Amino acid sequence: MSAETADEPGGSATTRGTVGVELSRRPLFYAVLGPFWAWLVVRWVYDWVVVPGTNVTSRETFFPTQPFVSAGEVLRETAAPPPLAGLLDWFAGGLDFIAFGIEALPQLAAGAWVTIVLTVVSILAGLVLAVPLSVARVYGNRVTRYPALAATELIRGTPLLAQLFVLYFGLGLTQYVRVIPGVGVGVLPDTAVMVALIGFTINSAAYQSEYIRSALLSVDSGQLTAGRAIGLSKVEAIRHVVLPQGLRFAIPGWSNELVYLIKYSSLASFITVRELFFRAEAIGNDTYLYVQIYTVAALFYIALVVSASAFMSYVEDRVAIPGLGTKGRR
Amino acid sequence: MSDANALLEFEDVHQSYGEEKVLRGIDFEMERGDVEVVIGPSGSGKSTMLRCVNRLTEIDSGTIYLDGDPVTTPETDVNALRRRVGMVFQDFNLFAHRTALGNVTLGLREVLGHSKEEARAEAMSQLERVGLANQADSYPAELSGGQKQRVGIARALAMDPELMLFDEPTSALDPELIGEVLRVMRDLADDGMTMLCVTHEMGFAQEAASTISFLDEGSVVERGPPEQLFEAPEHERTGEFLERLTSLHGGQHG
Repeated sequence: MSAETADEPGGSATTRGTVGVELSRRPLFYAVLGPFWAWLVVRWVYDWVVVPGTNVTSRETFFPTQPFVSAGEVLRETAAPPPLAGLLDWFAGGLDFIAFGIEALPQLAAGAWVTIVLTVVSILAGLVLAVPLSVARVYGNRVTRYPALAATELIRGTPLLAQLFVLYFGLGLTQYVRVIPGVGVGVLPDTAVMVALIGFTINSAAYQSEYIRSALLSVDSGQLTAGRAIGLSKVEAIRHVVLPQGLRFAIPGWSNELVYLIKYSSLASFITVRELFFRAEAIGNDTYLYVQIYTVAALFYIALVVSASAFMSYVEDRVAIPGLGTKGRR
Repeated sequence: MSDANALLEFEDVHQSYGEEKVLRGIDFEMERGDVEVVIGPSGSGKSTMLRCVNRLTEIDSGTIYLDGDPVTTPETDVNALRRRVGMVFQDFNLFAHRTALGNVTLGLREVLGHSKEEARAEAMSQLERVGLANQADSYPAELSGGQKQRVGIARALAMDPELMLFDEPTSALDPELIGEVLRVMRDLADDGMTMLCVTHEMGFAQEAASTISFLDEGSVVERGPPEQLFEAPEHERTGEFLERLTSLHGGQHG
């Protein structure tokens, strides 16, 4: 007779996961990511607090490279019949790669910090802009809807790199950003990073507003009506009734945007931001070992992306409500 | 113009969606404490008539008065009007992200500006009134249809309305869940709440209604106390409709 037959009264539909459960379910995952983040954090703290001001290239590595180098030499000098000798050579190459990677780690850690700052700040600032943009699109009148639509389409319709160039070279935002107090002091982002943040924030806001827009549209219209019927104004009803539901629906799309942003942040290297990719490229230019350094950088990106996905999945679990969104479904 | 005693008055109310005329001159009034049951075939304008009262739907012409105040003028503060008129929906429309308690407290906090503790206490007493104090922390998805609708009623009652609108409150419910909702509605009627109900629950209409209106094609065909409509309808259409309705929705839940 109705859809209600499926709903058992009072059934507990809690799907909220905990970190503990996740840990026991994916031990390998955490065995790799745990040490990675522990090392990264120790590395940053060491560089900023223990030996501040040291040039990044002359920073000491935490792990010795000598054992790998000598082990490689030993392998190469070992006399062996042809097929085995080739294999030993190959292993020696692997050990050389590890030694090279270890030397590059301090640089890449410093770059990863900038990449993370770019990603986290611009996705959060982008969200702040995206919410009003999407609300203007879905619930606005002509006056709010068309400017929001135009802004979104302009940004989504042009390349991100071109947008960064316009901000950095075309508009010369650096001259305005440079005078802001605190820019470039200590671990705070420098001028180029600030310009990149502005660019990524605007770009991400446009994409996020599309994710949120479609999430808002999937909130049943009866929800807004019910909110208005108890005397909430339209803005209040959107804020207290529609957005809390719509933003939950938007989390999967939002995770997607976060993962994209981590990788797109490498475009900031074109406007001299010394993030992860920039540092890797610089090392490649010095050593000509491009394949090796880009492989190490790729491992960094994968670690960041997988961590971000895991974090978003955790957030989704934490805010899940029975019967709402993908995680709240039973 | 407006009758001084009437709590709710419709005066030649017309409404249409584009070309389609829905209400064609509704005139009717009800006094404080009245329970008015509106019946009629689907598409006759029953729900629209209800939604015009709290301006979820705007009328084309005519006037609606609430306690003597015209509420369909451009100057009317719509949000203030809706505070005075509670509404219960066919599909419940509970706020899906809030618990039963949270559904009731939202209006108390954001519209009436109660403190957190006040709102909680008031909401708990409203949930108790509909027999759901023990489900205060359940989310809508964890409640049965009948429980959802009772939370919907508590949510509307919490605003201390002068008038309650019921838009087919039991139509989306399984038969065995209808009784609990009707019981709450009957208690409300006994407490003297003014209620305008679109429902086809004839048991409820016979017992609780002070007046029944039969609506067809956007106008009130016949209106009178339940005995009159059930036993001696003036219009043939009313009789036919009631006969069909009673055979479908007899008083078995009452």
